[in-house]
Amino acid sequence: MRRAVAVTLTGIPLAVAVFGPVLAGFTNARRGPAYAFGPGYPLGTDGLGRDVLGLVLRGGLSTLALAAAATVAAYGIGTLVGLLAAGTRRRWMDETLMRPLDVLLAVPALLVLLLVAASAGRNAGIIVVVVTVVTAPAVARLVRTAALDAARHPAAEAMVLQGESWWAVHIGYVGRCIVRPLLADAGTRMTTSVYLVGAANFLGVGLPPDAADWAVLVDRNRAGLLLQPWAVLVPAALIVAFTLGVNLLADDLTRRRR
Amino acid sequence: MTLAGYGLRRAGVGLLQILAVATLVFAFLEALPGDAAVAAAGDDPDPARIAALRQQFGLDRPVWQRYGDWLGGLVTGDLGASLRSGRPVVSLLGTAAGPTTVLALVTLAVLVPLTVALGVCAAVRAGGWFDRAVSSTTVALHCVPEFALAVLLIAVFALWLGLLPATAVGGGLLEDPALLVLPVVVLLARSAAAPVRTLRGAMIDALASDYVAHARRHGLPRWRVLLGHALPNAAAPAVQQLARTVDWLVGGIIVVEAIFAIPGLSAVLVEAVAARDVPVVQGVTVMVAAVAVLANLTADVIAFRLAPRAGVA
Repeated sequence: MRRAVAVTLTGIPLAVAVFGPVLAGFTNARRGPAYAFGPGYPLGTDGLGRDVLGLVLRGGLSTLALAAAATVAAYGIGTLVGLLAAGTRRRWMDETLMRPLDVLLAVPALLVLLLVAASAGRNAGIIVVVVTVVTAPAVARLVRTAALDAARHPAAEAMVLQGESWWAVHIGYVGRCIVRPLLADAGTRMTTSVYLVGAANFLGVGLPPDAADWAVLVDRNRAGLLLQPWAVLVPAALIVAFTLGVNLLADDLTRRRR
Repeated sequence: MTLAGYGLRRAGVGLLQILAVATLVFAFLEALPGDAAVAAAGDDPDPARIAALRQQFGLDRPVWQRYGDWLGGLVTGDLGASLRSGRPVVSLLGTAAGPTTVLALVTLAVLVPLTVALGVCAAVRAGGWFDRAVSSTTVALHCVPEFALAVLLIAVFALWLGLLPATAVGGGLLEDPALLVLPVVVLLARSAAAPVRTLRGAMIDALASDYVAHARRHGLPRWRVLLGHALPNAAAPAVQQLARTVDWLVGGIIVVEAIFAIPGLSAVLVEAVAARDVPVVQGVTVMVAAVAVLANLTADVIAFRLAPRAGVA
């Protein structure tokens, strides 16, 4: 039951985001009056007179792709730093790798985003970089803990005694051991990225204001909520459904594995 | 380790953290192309004008001197002046911090009892229907974007049912508490999830422990075993988790204020970001980092007091 709900909640926004851009070609491309309903506009028009249905179909990919890119990059960097910190025999190296992350955790992630945007200007690429940098520490921490556990396992010690190389033990064997805890965590990292990317776009520091993006649509059409609620509610509902669904699905998968 | 010793050591770490954040913020803005003078010149990028502005802001002095000024200013409470309005950043933040503080304190005042109630009730009958409902909800609400959740709630409760005001335009937060309901609910939705889960887990462990079994065998009343013996030990990790959520709460407040048109720090910050008013953004960042560090510090000391074993790190 819970799994069915989770799959539906994740599946609908994902399908709209992935297949939407293809279907959007069949929607009304002409501009109409702002915040209006009419024939040819099933969900009405937005503040710029564009067809809301077409915008919604086109607008999911940017949020999800930016968030996915940041998540993948954060995993790459976090895994590398975590494995090195756990694998090194030198305490100072562990400290140098992990301590700066503590400082970074003291500044709220959204504020780092705004600080960067204030100095570098509106830029979607920079959003991905910042989201990567602020989510990587959590991954590094998780990897380090999991890798330290794995390296203490009798199998790892046997490999060391057999004279296997540092790489074979600490990257090859330990790397394979930490895949499971990392995958279990992937869902929550993805929703964290969706949250940050969405908030950045909503606050107007990411994509341009006329972009077809769910978060930008919610922001730009808030003023017309009374006149034309669909331009705001449909993208907002899709974002909420996606995060709820991914969270439940991730929880379900971790539990099953235990 | 004594409580005072631990507190002092922890305060030292906190000070170092704030110093590191202030240094990073300075170094970061220094490393980026274009400085405050270029930003202030805006649509009029005339080199002579930029040079004049640079002199006016003191940007033509060596880096280490400006770094010293920046740190000295932080200590004496001088964060410079806004590039746009020329007002001191401190007074700008002082006026805006009021509504933000009200929102944050009201949220915390609801968050703490809510965490205890949900966490304890879920743990008492672990696996029961209430526990499953609480667990599913808190799992699902992790990182649900506030702006999306907020517009959905506004549509239902303000526009369709007409029960609550949609925005806080033209009203004081304290005079009209109805204005606070939706913003606080949105903030709670995300910030309550992690502490409730932590407290639930810790309570389940505590209730299964020997000392709780011992207290039960002594025939202590059920509520005293729960609240007097199990809760204080289980609360330590939850208090620390609560402090971690301050980070998220700050981010959430920025978004929530923007949606509900609450004239707090968010309005100042978003406007400063759009205008690239660097001193204001710098000031807000360091101030918020200081609050986050202070919250973590307080939480660690409380956790140490509650369960001295857990606090030694």
